[in-house]
Amino acid sequence: MFGLNLVPPLVRTAMMMLLLGGLVGYVGTAFTTTLVVDSGILGGGGESSEAHRYMIALLQRESDNLARLGPSSDVVSRALQQQNVSQQPQDVKPLTVTYLGGVSSGRISVQIYAVEVQASGGQYQFLPFSLTLIGGRVQRVE
Amino acid sequence: MSSGVPVSSTRAALILATFLGGLVMGVAAYALTDKGVDANPYASLPKIAEPAAAAEVARDLLNDDPKALSNQLDMTVLQQLQTAIDPLVDIRSIKFVGAVEKNGRVLAAYVAGGRISDGTDIVRGFVLRLTGDQIVGVN
Repeated sequence: MFGLNLVPPLVRTAMMMLLLGGLVGYVGTAFTTTLVVDSGILGGGGESSEAHRYMIALLQRESDNLARLGPSSDVVSRALQQQNVSQQPQDVKPLTVTYLGGVSSGRISVQIYAVEVQASGGQYQFLPFSLTLIGGRVQRVE
Repeated sequence: MSSGVPVSSTRAALILATFLGGLVMGVAAYALTDKGVDANPYASLPKIAEPAAAAEVARDLLNDDPKALSNQLDMTVLQQLQTAIDPLVDIRSIKFVGAVEKNGRVLAAYVAGGRISDGTDIVRGFVLRLTGDQIVGVN
């Protein structure tokens, strides 16, 4: 099959073992990494990529990404969220976004950010955002 | 490698070595392809040490000491703190996760772990806002 019969058996076996080892290594690492991060075994103090993407989507008013990364909701709730995002003042400019830290406990993770924003009128705000994630989805933003 | 045919030790070692080589390559491939956290498109502020006043509030919460809390915080801030930790009723742990300062204003972030009224363990994040050494608000 696929001309493999032309390859000497030893080379064929070596190729299969290399492929199998690679697959086991890749899938095993992905599985272990996900398990460790989700369980919070190592304290889970690192920034979650989902929380990071949500914060950026929030600040850049990307309603599609907010809906994708946020809690599962019905179509009307998502429409309301889009309307909320589009009605936010467009002239608010984020100055800095600082990840303060986070903690994971089981599937629940809390990630906290500090954000500096400036409105066109010169109004300056220094705000914290606390994101609660369950199973990699943002469930609560405060 | 058909069943019943003895495999020489050299050949077995070679097979094992190629499998292990593949395993290492698989791990390396995952490390290279795993994107992790995207780069932050905005600037970040440098972290500062835990403010003493915030640390005291965290200690009072952990020690379940309402008297010390009421001495340290005014009613408005206490009400904000109540909202921030709701629905926790039994705080078992408090972890300071980081703080930043800008123009004399400090944000100190904490994560509290504990139980809610039905006995479920949860974690809640809250941020103490300070001006100078004074706690002026909680988010």
